[in-house]
Amino acid sequence: SAAAPRPWKLFGAMCLLRLPRITQPLEKVEEEMAALMEQIELEKSHYSDHEMRKLEEEEQLQRKKESLYDEDEARGKVILAQDLEEKWEQKFQQFKAAPRITDADKSNDRTSLNRKLDSNLMLLVKQKIGNQDLWLLPQVEWQPGETLRSTAERAMATFLGDHIQAKVLGNAPYGIYKYKFPKAIRTENNVGAKVFFFKAFLQSSDLSQAELKADCLWVTKKELGDYLNSEYLKKVNRFLLD
Amino acid sequence: SCSSWLPQRVPLRGSHWQSSLLELRTSLPGRAQPKKKKKVDVKKEQAQKERMKKKLRKLEKAAPELIPIEDFIAPLKFSESNRVRSLPALSPEESERRVLLLKKWCLFKQKQDEAEKKAIKALVESQQEALKELRLESEELYEAAIRRDEELFPFEREGPTYTPPLPGYDPPEGKCIDITKVYTQ
Repeated sequence: SAAAPRPWKLFGAMCLLRLPRITQPLEKVEEEMAALMEQIELEKSHYSDHEMRKLEEEEQLQRKKESLYDEDEARGKVILAQDLEEKWEQKFQQFKAAPRITDADKSNDRTSLNRKLDSNLMLLVKQKIGNQDLWLLPQVEWQPGETLRSTAERAMATFLGDHIQAKVLGNAPYGIYKYKFPKAIRTENNVGAKVFFFKAFLQSSDLSQAELKADCLWVTKKELGDYLNSEYLKKVNRFLLD
Repeated sequence: SCSSWLPQRVPLRGSHWQSSLLELRTSLPGRAQPKKKKKVDVKKEQAQKERMKKKLRKLEKAAPELIPIEDFIAPLKFSESNRVRSLPALSPEESERRVLLLKKWCLFKQKQDEAEKKAIKALVESQQEALKELRLESEELYEAAIRRDEELFPFEREGPTYTPPLPGYDPPEGKCIDITKVYTQ
């Protein structure tokens, strides 16, 4: 239908999230509560087979010390439960897990995906808007014939290449940022732009194969303020969960 | 052909049975003794089959037994008295500390829940505003946006672990033998 052309330009933007890989540290109350729960569980429990074995062996050792009952009980176990426990403890100490604070954390390398493993990381790209270079969520202008979700997916592919694996969360936009063009270029038919934000979860953790077309940064929600202007940031923060 | 030699009790379906019976009656020779053996055997077999069918029907009618849930039945050897743990009683300071901690926890969880609800509300509001603005622009795009995404569910995701995966880690070898009992109805 030939309606009057709207004065707003439409953009689709993608908020690509790398989800946390490790658990967040517990608050003090949570730690105390966890310890209490463990203590109560221990108090309400009965002895397990392993503990029964340990108790019996302790009694045997006690009897050996008080009187010499070597012959009767010596035919018992070769390995005591206590020895087993020490063996298990040693084996556990030999295992070294991967560190929770990575090298990228220490060097604050914000282009790395291997940073801040306990938080969500969002993608920011450097784009030219008007005559300024700004750090924004990847966005491209909507073209007739595609849905806004496809626009957002195209934005992602434009900056990260075609082989990016991401799960887009639904067909509906999560937020909108509306702004008017500066007076110099504003006309009646070209008042401003509406940027519709979509959300997606990054599926693959390895982006070495990606063809990065522009400067990319991966930042947490708190660090967004270092890059985005306040109005834009306000709108983006509304649909970001901590 | 001896299978078509049926006693009169069986209902005759269709005229082809009738004609075959008639044919047989005219063609059987008159030998009494062997004929009786066959008759009696077949009759006995029929009676046995009927009895088996009746038993099956009775079993099927009885309500199916409930499958016991192994986890809910505590083995008796764990309820013996020598298994009871002997620990010193709780001091009044300790019980006081526990009660206060539980109250603090209650408050903490309440605040956490409220924050979550507030965040979800903000999320929904943001989406509603975006859809409203979209509708002002184009009805077609709005319709495309509110359409259900069929590929979204089933949605699977692995949760976070305490430490990140160790690159190049070779887990120790071992075999896991599953001994869960499987019950059939």
